[in-house]
Amino acid sequence: MATPKTRFGKIWSKAGAVLSVAAIGFVLFPIFLADNPWPVEARDYLAAMGQAETGAVNLVSSIYLGYRIFDTLGETIVLLVAVLGTMSILSRVESLVDDSPADDAGKSGADKAGDALKKSGGFSLSREKRHSHTLRTDLLEAVTGKIGPVILIFGFYVMLFGHVSPGGGFQGGVIVASAIVFLTLGNPGAGTLLSNTRVLSTLETAAFLLMLLLSSSGLLFGQGFFGNPMAGAENPEVYIIILNAVVGLKVGASLGFLCITMMGGHK
Amino acid sequence: MKLELLLILILFLVGFWGIVGKNNIIKKIFGLNMINAAAVILFILEGSRSGADAPILGKEGLHIVDPVPQALMLTAIVIGVCITALALALAVHLYRVSGSFDIDRIRDKVHNEN
Amino acid sequence: MRTEDLVFMTIMLPLFGAAIAFFAKAFPKGSLTSKILEYGGAVVGLVLPWWALIQLFGPVYQGESFSGVVGGWNPALGIFYRFDGLSWLIQLLGYSVGLAAYIYSVGAGPRGPAFTGIFLIQTAALSAAIITTDMFNLFVCLEVLGVTSYVLIPTSKKPGASLAAFSYLMVSASAMVLFLVGTYGLYRLSGSLAYSEIASAVQGLSGTDHRVYLMSLVLLVSAIAIRVAVMPLYGWLPDSHALAPHAISSVLSGVLIKTPLFALSRVLGLFVQGADVGLLMSYAGAATALVAVVLALSQSDAKRLLAYHSISQIGYVVTAWGTAISIGANTQAGLVLMTAAYLHALFHAFFKGLLFLSVGTTVDLAGERNVYRLRGAARYLRAGGDRLALTFVTFLVGALSITAIPPMNGYISKNAIGYGMKGSFLYLFLTLAGVGTVASFIKLSRIYWPSAATREEKSVEPAAEKGNAGLGYRLTAQFMLAGICVATGVAFPQVLDVTGRLLSGGQVLKQPNLYGSATLLKTFYTALAGVGLFMLIQLKPMAHILHVIRERPRSFQGLFVSFSLATAALALWLLY
Repeated sequence: MATPKTRFGKIWSKAGAVLSVAAIGFVLFPIFLADNPWPVEARDYLAAMGQAETGAVNLVSSIYLGYRIFDTLGETIVLLVAVLGTMSILSRVESLVDDSPADDAGKSGADKAGDALKKSGGFSLSREKRHSHTLRTDLLEAVTGKIGPVILIFGFYVMLFGHVSPGGGFQGGVIVASAIVFLTLGNPGAGTLLSNTRVLSTLETAAFLLMLLLSSSGLLFGQGFFGNPMAGAENPEVYIIILNAVVGLKVGASLGFLCITMMGGHK
Repeated sequence: MKLELLLILILFLVGFWGIVGKNNIIKKIFGLNMINAAAVILFILEGSRSGADAPILGKEGLHIVDPVPQALMLTAIVIGVCITALALALAVHLYRVSGSFDIDRIRDKVHNEN
Repeated sequence: MRTEDLVFMTIMLPLFGAAIAFFAKAFPKGSLTSKILEYGGAVVGLVLPWWALIQLFGPVYQGESFSGVVGGWNPALGIFYRFDGLSWLIQLLGYSVGLAAYIYSVGAGPRGPAFTGIFLIQTAALSAAIITTDMFNLFVCLEVLGVTSYVLIPTSKKPGASLAAFSYLMVSASAMVLFLVGTYGLYRLSGSLAYSEIASAVQGLSGTDHRVYLMSLVLLVSAIAIRVAVMPLYGWLPDSHALAPHAISSVLSGVLIKTPLFALSRVLGLFVQGADVGLLMSYAGAATALVAVVLALSQSDAKRLLAYHSISQIGYVVTAWGTAISIGANTQAGLVLMTAAYLHALFHAFFKGLLFLSVGTTVDLAGERNVYRLRGAARYLRAGGDRLALTFVTFLVGALSITAIPPMNGYISKNAIGYGMKGSFLYLFLTLAGVGTVASFIKLSRIYWPSAATREEKSVEPAAEKGNAGLGYRLTAQFMLAGICVATGVAFPQVLDVTGRLLSGGQVLKQPNLYGSATLLKTFYTALAGVGLFMLIQLKPMAHILHVIRERPRSFQGLFVSFSLATAALALWLLY
């Protein structure tokens, strides 16, 4: 087959790599070093009208939950699909664990590293492995268990105040996800409700459905899909806050689910 | 010529080298992350030259930066994370079926099985 | 409800369907509630959008188009969309093949709420990709399309499928990063993300700014060309399409590689340099058609052979599409060619979808995919429950369509392309590719030939064991597509007329006469030459050459080298 095992093959493949890096560099060079002034029309428009039209003081959230919410929906969908895909691939892997090939001859360094990781188990959550883990100490469990709830609250703060301060659904969601990981690591026995992947997956689906309903809610008020149904009302930021919360739940549940799956703790 | 832009370009090309020149699939995934990071840094850095303050209103006399790149990159980052997660899951699967992270060895192994 | 809202129904209904299907996961597997939710979601996502499409047909047929900003936001920041005849036609493509493939998957697998949901999301993303006229939104749509394919390809549980998905993921995700860099370049120049705003802002640029613009355009085009799998960038396709589950193969080959192409035509139509890009793409397309058919001829795996034919047929589409863009997509000749390109894309989706499903059923029941080893497949079909060997009939319809034998639909679209391309040297490439197609389908259809040698040796038990695994659903889907193949071939004057009107915004185009004696004669000669070529490859030396071609070195790295070199070549083409 095409394996470049020969010396010539190796040189040939390095030459190909150099060539393609050079070709890409040639195309990218003008774009990366462009020095025309940055266009400011959008910025000026937002500074003048952004708050009035969406209600958000944080202009970044006025864009991704207002003007360009369609993109955000697509992004949450990518997240949803990636989580489901990772889950299905990894659950297939588990059935292979026992009969993984065992020929050690001629393994590269990376393969050996892979073996070492397999032996230590990393942060693996599957219970029978727990005692052999080098990385899961009592100290780790005590700290993560105690700090988890605090981080969870902080995540919700970032999520709910995204319209007035740096933060928002995505940032808050990521913090919530790390809180979920901490809670899972810190409660090695039964785990908490949030370390149950079934709960997380239902939460994720519910947030996805809510997100769809919210983006369609403009229909009832004559704005059509993806409009802000509260535009023109006294406080249009309510819509942004709700959306931030939903996006945050969605991201938190998805990423938490992803991390727990990767650590082998899904049910 | 701006030095920092050149550095970002180099970061990008190093990442691309990782994808093309390395045989280890984990390194390839690192490379993908690097080029993604380079694109994000470029967009954010250049977008931030249009002002001096964060795009959060509320005070008088702010000279804010363009918030559009930041909002767009938020999306791009999340997508990058998703793709990485998926790629890693596939890498684990490939390791389990072939016993190797080397792309050529994996190809040989998989090809023989089919 | 306003008509503009109907447009978004075609995106939102599949998404709602997906959300409903995902809820089925909360209930025990196989319980009634979970089944109701899953199939209910599928109905919402794949059947209800037809209602919106029917409602929208009237206006677009009259030449109306709906455009504006998503959600009625301010144009300075919002996402522009445009729903016109092209969008309607692409959605027709997506929903018809999607429905047939889903019905097939109910019988043949993969099953389950997660699969249903992801499948629906893919359909929604296809609809969105053709409606949007915003660069970043297109990026998001392409990413959704990509991520659903990376997930759906390995559901066939073959290790090779994981490798194929990984290769596809790496090359297409890297290309999407370059797409992002291209978007950056254009945003920097124009301060906008909408196609039309960008196009008007980049006119009359000079010096370094002009170079930035050209390079950005190059990155966008090559990132999309990866998805379309034209010649140097096709390397990821054969494995992923061959090793995916059959239903997914038919959608990937039928719909997924074409939608980005037509989305790209929205971009290129607006830029001055779009014509140059179109010209180069048409050359690449003609080369694709010919080279891929040679590769197809050399394959031994039945589905991989079909996958190479997808590349070859997309070559036809790209040739006609590129030529149409280079001579101006709004001129009379350009519109006729564009109609031909679209029709070939549509018909290819039907007959290739049909072929993937029919061959899929056959290889499943026979338990053998090798074209050289499998013989007398009709026997396995009967043993597997397909008593009348109906799958053979549907295969035959698909094979006659792809080889352009009248009255099937392939005859119409291939000759419509031939009519538009007449006089160009690319026409020669396409004719030669037609010969190769005939030869390789004779080769593929040998799997159904009865063979005395194997009759006793191989018992039919492996097939009987599987029983008739969802055969009813499989045959329904196959007959649906076969019916469409015949119907669109017979009713071609109407099909040509409607497509022409939709693509031109209500004009009546002068369509070619497709049943002239010269065209029929050419078809006859092509078929004859195909038979000749098939005889030729039976000879020892030719078989050896094909073996060498089949076992040629293919590597992961090659994907990237060809991608970056093609990108640089496109840049040089535009610069000089």
